[in-house]
Amino acid sequence: MPAKRLGWIAHRQRSFLAGMAPALVVLALITIAPAIYLVLTSLTPLNLTLPGSAWDFSSPAGNYIDLFEDPRFSRSVWVQVKLSVATVILQLLVGLGVALLLNGGTRIRELARSGFLIPMVLPPIVVGILWRVMYAVDISPFHRFMAFIGLPVPSLITDPNWALFAIVIAETWEWFPFTMLMVLAALQMIPASPLEAARIDGANNLQIFRYVMFPYIQQTLVVAAIFRLIDSIKAFPLIFVLTDGGPGDVTEVTNYYAYRQAFTFSLWGYGSAIATLMVVGIFVLSWVIDRLTGAAYAEAD
Amino acid sequence: MQKQIDPQPVVARPSSNPVSRYWFQRNRRWLGDVGTIALLLLVLFPFAWLVQMSFRPNRDILGYELLFTPTLAHYKALWTGAFPASFVNSMITSICSTVLALLLGVPAAYALSRGGFKSSRRIALWILATRMAPPIAFTIPFFLAYRYLGLSDTLLGLIIVYLTFNLALVIWMMQPFFDGVPRELEEAAWIDGCSVWEAFRRVTLPLSAPGLAATAVICFILSWNDFFYALVLTRTNASTAPVAIVNFIQYTGWEWGRIAAAGTLVMLPVVVFSVLVRNYLVRGLAAGGVKE
Amino acid sequence: MAPTRARVTRRQMLRAGAGALFIPFTLKSGRAPAQGGKKPFEGVTLNISCWSATYPKLIADYLPEFTETTGIKVNYDTPGFPVYNQRADLELSTKGSGFDVLNVTFIYTSRWIGAGWLTPLDSYIKDPNKTPADWDYADFLAGSVQPMKDKVGAVYGIPWISDVLMAASSRFDIFKANGLGMPDTFDELDKAMQLVNKKEGVAGFSIENHWGWVFIPFLQGFGGNVFRNPPDDLMPALDSPEVAEAAEFFAKLINSYGPEAASGYTYDQVTEALRAGRVNYSPHNHAFCALMGEDGSKVIKTSNFAMLPKGPKGRFPGVASHGWGIPVGAKNKDASWEFIKWSMSKDLVSRLTQRHGLGSVTRKSLIHSEAYKQRMVINGVDTGKIFLDSIAMSEQGYMKYRTVHVYPQANAQINQAVSRVVSGQMKAKESFALAQANAIADLKRAGVRF
Repeated sequence: MPAKRLGWIAHRQRSFLAGMAPALVVLALITIAPAIYLVLTSLTPLNLTLPGSAWDFSSPAGNYIDLFEDPRFSRSVWVQVKLSVATVILQLLVGLGVALLLNGGTRIRELARSGFLIPMVLPPIVVGILWRVMYAVDISPFHRFMAFIGLPVPSLITDPNWALFAIVIAETWEWFPFTMLMVLAALQMIPASPLEAARIDGANNLQIFRYVMFPYIQQTLVVAAIFRLIDSIKAFPLIFVLTDGGPGDVTEVTNYYAYRQAFTFSLWGYGSAIATLMVVGIFVLSWVIDRLTGAAYAEAD
Repeated sequence: MQKQIDPQPVVARPSSNPVSRYWFQRNRRWLGDVGTIALLLLVLFPFAWLVQMSFRPNRDILGYELLFTPTLAHYKALWTGAFPASFVNSMITSICSTVLALLLGVPAAYALSRGGFKSSRRIALWILATRMAPPIAFTIPFFLAYRYLGLSDTLLGLIIVYLTFNLALVIWMMQPFFDGVPRELEEAAWIDGCSVWEAFRRVTLPLSAPGLAATAVICFILSWNDFFYALVLTRTNASTAPVAIVNFIQYTGWEWGRIAAAGTLVMLPVVVFSVLVRNYLVRGLAAGGVKE
Repeated sequence: MAPTRARVTRRQMLRAGAGALFIPFTLKSGRAPAQGGKKPFEGVTLNISCWSATYPKLIADYLPEFTETTGIKVNYDTPGFPVYNQRADLELSTKGSGFDVLNVTFIYTSRWIGAGWLTPLDSYIKDPNKTPADWDYADFLAGSVQPMKDKVGAVYGIPWISDVLMAASSRFDIFKANGLGMPDTFDELDKAMQLVNKKEGVAGFSIENHWGWVFIPFLQGFGGNVFRNPPDDLMPALDSPEVAEAAEFFAKLINSYGPEAASGYTYDQVTEALRAGRVNYSPHNHAFCALMGEDGSKVIKTSNFAMLPKGPKGRFPGVASHGWGIPVGAKNKDASWEFIKWSMSKDLVSRLTQRHGLGSVTRKSLIHSEAYKQRMVINGVDTGKIFLDSIAMSEQGYMKYRTVHVYPQANAQINQAVSRVVSGQMKAKESFALAQANAIADLKRAGVRF
């Protein structure tokens, strides 16, 4: 009996390993191998018009030194910071607001929830086209309406002061359903008793939100913020369609700068260096946030 | 693991205008509903505008009038170009990528769920890491590698690249579903003489079918919506629909109808599917951040 | 339980599934072998792309003829100029077979030829079996073919256009009403614009936003240059005071005399605006100006044309050639050459000029033919002569900057620098100092040694 049982356990473990192995092997192949290749390429001045540059490790830190001195790179990081902070805050606020509204529990609001999802699930390139239409002065209903009521608004995406703002609006529109869904789920998990108690005590809505609801959804907001932050660093189709990094490089975020360097003039070495720095930056950012939020909770306890 | 919340004592303050306050209180429900609908219309306005543009006749495409005779001319014009081929490409890559991700990922998710491996947490972190990395970190090495492998501008090339996010997603999403299936049912099957994977096929899979379907749909949506990888890794043969639309964008004025029609077509499958799986969407998109 | 049976069916399913997954790879190869039959290239499909100029858009309608005679099917697309260049550059850098015929863009000729990404065409031209004598390669303008050659004279492209920048006015009646002729100097242009702008609701000035093309005649007219001494000395010269002066003048033209959102106009939009009479004066490509005399144009009776005005240091009308080339990785180069022969045949090009007013052609026999000359006369003005005079001027050599192999990088910097000045983001001096620094960095990365 014991031998049979041991045989069965061994069979079981083997089965599980067999189940995991193909996926892990494939995952390693398509994530770790490219990562290594990326870092290696970033150490060369790879440029496809100069075939010899592929394995030229004579100056491995060359790209990184260039990046350090490259004003366009540092500017792209600053643009990224502006974009990320603005869009995450707005997404949280709008998502929170809509979630609170939809928390009302009527049938209509439940049905409306599916409608609010639409911006998030549209192919990002279609979102880009949508907003391109909205921002094109001669065809946009928004612009024409504003002109109609006597407050004409000039083109936003060709104005260096407003282009980034225009992208922030489009991005918020696209992704607020994400935070909305997360907050809504958290809201619906709030136990009824504290809410009842507060209402019986005569609190108004604002007080209920601030003192009863908010502590429950705080963690969800943080998680949503982290996810939106990391996704905002990947912003591409909107910038591609709306402004192409311009006017000038006012909307050129780091991701877009890397794309231009690598894919416009085949400067793969330099582009790889930017991409490597981005990946490292994202990991550091997540680790920092994780520490900060962990510490905050530890303190609060 | 919710913290203990002590709601602070609140003090009721009488409103300055008891009548209006009463009216708002009484009618709070449907006021909120009206507000919701108004907000929904506002939010969906750009989307609706694009769709109606696709049906507007060309000479009127920039017009105001709400009553116009709809025309299918733009859709018909799309059918003569390269757009249908790209639409088919999108279908093929999305479906194949989803199937491949499921074939590889579902057994892995099950093994992670039941296997009790010590490195599960490390694997989870690895999966999260791939989710966080910006696509450009993958496209550069893949682009260069595909040059040598001859996979540039092929559907197979795209399918493999899509695995970078689909495979991780499948493992991440299916594991909690499998966790949710009671072990006793499987153990019963094992005692009956089934092998591990037979029990999986007969017992666990049917019970997690909804999760499987939702995961499949989300993988499909993410593959369908991809723009960056297709833009870089395809040229003519394997362009997908989102990339084909970019060709139209360079024209202005007289091509807006076709752009709108193309956009509407491209968004159609995902909108339909998303409504079907809306409950699972957040889990899939968050893929690991929310502690259930 | 029947384990054996279950295992077999599962394995069969897996195999079928694996097989199904490989179908897309085989389906999309896109190349059927040429079968026997009357048509030599029956069953062949070519992927061809070019930017959306007049000529490439026109031949799209004639492709069925090509398929009829040769049996070759063509997948043809014409994206906008910047999108096309980026895609073509990326594709060529892979030495892949995604495209069979591509446009060799003027500013990329040196880069693509120098990197060995295009197929030498001499063997096709000289082979009597591949090219009949009456196709007449010698008929192409020498100046148009020159940029398509490498240092030793091998040919890599067949030019289909020599783009020439000239000046067009769609509402010359407004000029006349204010006692003005076509401006000949920058000063005259400025004064004229002040007088005609917004008269009768017509904006004074319009220009396409490919700054790296349309700004250079102004840059050179004020005495600046893109590089110190191309092609030998490639040090960029973008931070000279002349360049800043030119940029300020240029931005003033656009901002003071242009229509709403003037800085966003592409070449397509400028052409349409001219044809509709919404904008008056524009420095614009000859091929687009010729469309002002075609059907649908509202300004045929009020147009006028002249050479580009001159600045304090001279007149420098921009001249650029584009041509058809064959990527080095193309799979069926004979079929590609068939397309090039057909699309640049005397017959087709002359039909295009006759029926559609195609301008800026590169065949001498056509340029000097009565029919073409007549066609190029719009409202009494001989635009053909302006075209030839401008090309003659360019033989002085001021266009050398454009065929430098790293010019695309400089072009990108000039685009951004002018964009910043026009949008008011930076003053000209600052913006071009930044462009200079960036250009030097970009050139170093491209392997240029200073």
